[in-house]
Amino acid sequence: MNTSAQLLHIENLTLHFRTQAGAVQAVDGVNFDLDHHKAVVILGESGCGKTSLSKAILRLLPRNVEKYSGEVYLQGADVMAYDDEQFRKNVRWAEMSLVPQAAMNSLNPVIKVGEQVAEPAMVHLGIKKDEAFGLAKRMFQHVGVPDDFLDRYPFELSGGMRQRVALAMALVTSPSLILLDEPTSALDLLTQANIMNVLKRIKHELGTSFILITHDIATSSELADEVAIMYAGQIVETGHAKDFFPAPLHPYSQLLMASVPRLRSDSDPMFITGQPPSLIDLPTGCRFAARCPFRMEKCSEEPPVIQKDNSKVKCWLYS
Amino acid sequence: MARFSRSLRDISQYPSAIGGALIILFLLGVSLYTIITIPYAEAILLWRGGQDVWYQNPTTAQPTWVNAFRKEKLPETFIINSDDLQKNIREIEGGREINITMPFDYSFDSFPQELTLYFTAEFLEKQPYVSVTLQTPDDRTIRIADFAVDHTQTFIFSQDTRLTRRLNGLIPREGIFLNPESDSKTPIKGQYILNLKVLTFEPNANVQAEFVMYGQVAGWAGTDHQRRDLGVALLWGTPIALSFGLLAALGTTVTTMVIAAIGVWYAGWLDSLIQRVTEVNLVLPFLSILIMVGAFYSRSIWVILGVTILLGIFGGSIITYRSVFLQVKESPYIEAARAYGAGNMRIILVYLIPRIIPLLIPQLVTLIPTYVFLEASLAVLGLGDPVLPTWGKVITDAISNGALYQGHYYWILEPAFLLMLTGLAFAMLGFVLDRIFNPRLRGV
Amino acid sequence: MAELTLQPEAAVPEVQPGKKVTNPVSRVMRYVLVRILTLFATVIVGVYLTILIANMGGYVDEIQRAQIREEAQQQALNNPSFKSLSQEEKVKRIEATVALREKRVGLDQPFAIRSFRFLKNALTLNLGWTQNMTSDSGSKQVRNIMLERLPATLLLFATSNILLFFSSIYVALALSRRYGGWMDKMIVSLAPTGSAPGWFYGIFLIVLFAAVLRILPYGGMVSAPPPENSFDYFVSLLQHMVLPVVAITLSTIFLNIYNWRTFFLIYSSEDYVDMAKAKGLNDRVLERRYILRPTLPNIISTFALTLISLWQGAPILESVFNWPGLGGTIVQAIGLYETPVIVGTTVVFAYLLALTVFLLDFVYALVDPRVKVGSGS
Repeated sequence: MNTSAQLLHIENLTLHFRTQAGAVQAVDGVNFDLDHHKAVVILGESGCGKTSLSKAILRLLPRNVEKYSGEVYLQGADVMAYDDEQFRKNVRWAEMSLVPQAAMNSLNPVIKVGEQVAEPAMVHLGIKKDEAFGLAKRMFQHVGVPDDFLDRYPFELSGGMRQRVALAMALVTSPSLILLDEPTSALDLLTQANIMNVLKRIKHELGTSFILITHDIATSSELADEVAIMYAGQIVETGHAKDFFPAPLHPYSQLLMASVPRLRSDSDPMFITGQPPSLIDLPTGCRFAARCPFRMEKCSEEPPVIQKDNSKVKCWLYS
Repeated sequence: MARFSRSLRDISQYPSAIGGALIILFLLGVSLYTIITIPYAEAILLWRGGQDVWYQNPTTAQPTWVNAFRKEKLPETFIINSDDLQKNIREIEGGREINITMPFDYSFDSFPQELTLYFTAEFLEKQPYVSVTLQTPDDRTIRIADFAVDHTQTFIFSQDTRLTRRLNGLIPREGIFLNPESDSKTPIKGQYILNLKVLTFEPNANVQAEFVMYGQVAGWAGTDHQRRDLGVALLWGTPIALSFGLLAALGTTVTTMVIAAIGVWYAGWLDSLIQRVTEVNLVLPFLSILIMVGAFYSRSIWVILGVTILLGIFGGSIITYRSVFLQVKESPYIEAARAYGAGNMRIILVYLIPRIIPLLIPQLVTLIPTYVFLEASLAVLGLGDPVLPTWGKVITDAISNGALYQGHYYWILEPAFLLMLTGLAFAMLGFVLDRIFNPRLRGV
Repeated sequence: MAELTLQPEAAVPEVQPGKKVTNPVSRVMRYVLVRILTLFATVIVGVYLTILIANMGGYVDEIQRAQIREEAQQQALNNPSFKSLSQEEKVKRIEATVALREKRVGLDQPFAIRSFRFLKNALTLNLGWTQNMTSDSGSKQVRNIMLERLPATLLLFATSNILLFFSSIYVALALSRRYGGWMDKMIVSLAPTGSAPGWFYGIFLIVLFAAVLRILPYGGMVSAPPPENSFDYFVSLLQHMVLPVVAITLSTIFLNIYNWRTFFLIYSSEDYVDMAKAKGLNDRVLERRYILRPTLPNIISTFALTLISLWQGAPILESVFNWPGLGGTIVQAIGLYETPVIVGTTVVFAYLLALTVFLLDFVYALVDPRVKVGSGS
């Protein structure tokens, strides 16, 4: 099902890390799809493998990779088959870019931010320095950073500024897809709101697709067209945002949504007992079974992915 | 302590660490063995005893084991003492005729360094008389010499001109092994018998003879220019090098750590003072000062050790420790300790210092070879301890006696090899320790 | 787009509220002054200590006095006109000569006073005359002796350091990319060879190349007599430089490569390096702008400090190789109790060190925008 109508088609993506304690199965057979001009939010708690997923998609592998496999089709092209040089030239930033968590550490401390934003444009679009700087300036305008900041160093900017610069950098080559890894978790509420507005505007003006990885359910609901829930290295539910948020299907999703405090509600938010399983020592069968209030006998077997209307759920309850 | 055993397990995963540790254990074993079998007093006697102790060795002889690698065997050194032999004694008028027979096997392919007879005679007035002849394996008898023997008498074969003439001009240490009628230049192999006929002219006179064949090889380590057995120096050099290295490294690191801790904890002027002293120390030329102390003041190894530690305390590592301590000082548990009323010393000893021990251990181990080589460096400059037999001393003797030009490579290479072995062993171990204990190096 | 235009945040750099913003020029000037004074004080204390030690609590004075006395007596014995004098006269004359000589050398004053005068002279590099040593040009001035020998040392150590430095960084960078390869493992196992000093390897090299193989000279700087024509001189110089430079290099290169490789590995796991990779920048750009550029201050200071630490090994290395440099001069001077030369070398070294430390501060500020001159210590 890899028609080029779909921007991104991921099948069975797996990324395991090798550590002294054993193999960390951070991303374990992930499947999902994304259409053009749409934004998907991948929700999950800390340690569920979200960041590893972004690394897996962008092929940013650390030194201790144990297993890396699966299929990734970008605009219909099988990018997993590319060698490293092809991937670097044709995919990285050309088609997909990244806004990382905590942008401070992601900016080179000794090079001016303007240069850093212009860099990918020079490399991937093949344009000269002046033109690239012009492009950087336009991107700054998009994200709301004043022009004179082009000449500043990262340490001279506040947290919110840096995040915007990172966003500008991700936009400069006009990629079709931007991955954002917890773009606002290190920022205060006002700045969060600001950044979210920027994202919405860019999606509207430039038509860029987003993959937003976060644990912040509240803010992500504004941007998302699609939702994917990640738990213990697997995607347990996908669906349209308008279906998901009012009525999540998977027990984990339900409990997750119930834990979000509502503005106009008297009831206390719920919490989920227990802890997510260790990614080294995963249980057999459904990984959520230990904490699931609807646990059944059958859950000791790994549940299949079941299509229910426009959503997919990995749960025996829907078989 | 569980941490300790876990660290041991981590260390054992690195072959270089195991190798290093094994070598260190070996060296420690050698040191222990040496100290027990050749006690200090005896070692000094062997090393500085003078000609009386050394005369039985050839000069700059290679170790005996080189013969295993040679097709043409070099002659070994041996001694025959008349006291150990059965003597044929005959009474004659006024005295005795003592016939001493010294047989020996000569199966080497080249000539010895020298042959010498040492006589000690007891008599009152009339000197005994001795006739020396040599029976060769091809049944010739060579008349060596006839002379009167004083209380102590030394007969060096090659220095006797009459013997040389008798051998048709061939120098005796070669000539006695050759047949004058053949053109062969290689010694005749077989059993030789040295016959000494001693005539004493007093009833209680006695003569004792010692025949020394100075070969080209001697001992397991060879000898130096003063006929000293290098084995003594090589063996004793081990505990000396190890203790110097260890004491210096230990003294420096521990003191540095304590001072850094005190400086950081008490802060204020004490801290600034320590920093200023460190800066001054950086400017002081460490080696030059050591050389000056050695040249002008004293070359005793204890003095050198003391100055080394003194100058080493305020070295660069004090800055590293200081930054670690600063980090620890700001930790909440330090605050908690002060809250419950812990005294300054207690905080330093119980909280600060244990935090730094994992960083200290690799530093310590890697520092040991530096100090071992430092001691050798000073010896090479001629400033080593004048009494002790150290590896550096052997190297410096070798260099100043032209070992390199004369081909006595073993003289330099043996102590150098030991130095290298020691240095490498500690360095290898230290490296692995660093990889394990230094948090920044995890996974690198 | 009005409603979606964002308020750009006020770009406020990290300045604490209420802090006066001082004029940067005056701040830097003040800092420079304080730094110079501190460093100078350090040099003074260091040199003075050296002077004290070089005298060994009067021991060297004793030697000098004994030397003077012996010379005076010897002169008296050889002087024919003295023979006719009475014993008393002779003794008086000898004493007078001794007193005169001592005064000329300054031994008539107590050491404390002399030491300060010496200190002042040493700091201004007015190092006086030697007793027993002469330079090759016949001068007895300490300054000339030192200046004569300095180039040889600089040649040897600067060449070695540059060779060492560039090759180890280049190899280390390459290694940090290929972590875990066979070459990586080899370097890690060879790194402990750095525990042995240069002269140690020098001995092995001399045994192998000079004594056994006879293809390189035993020591010295050029062959004796030195070749007339400059091309041959140059060749001879190169020939003689090979073994000492190789000795120095061998003793530190593997350790250096290991340290740099570890350093680069640590710095290449920084987030911004990952980010640069994600941006699809190629390896060369990555190395140059994202690994080398941020670590440049560290690299530069290591270069300076390596040179200084290499120099520490000069006395013995130059002695083993008979290299006519300043290090060998120190050893000679110590053997001849030539305090002025010893102190002179120390002073020069101290100044060089202080200068390097001082300049490094400025270099840091130039190269790393996060550092302002005077902000750190």
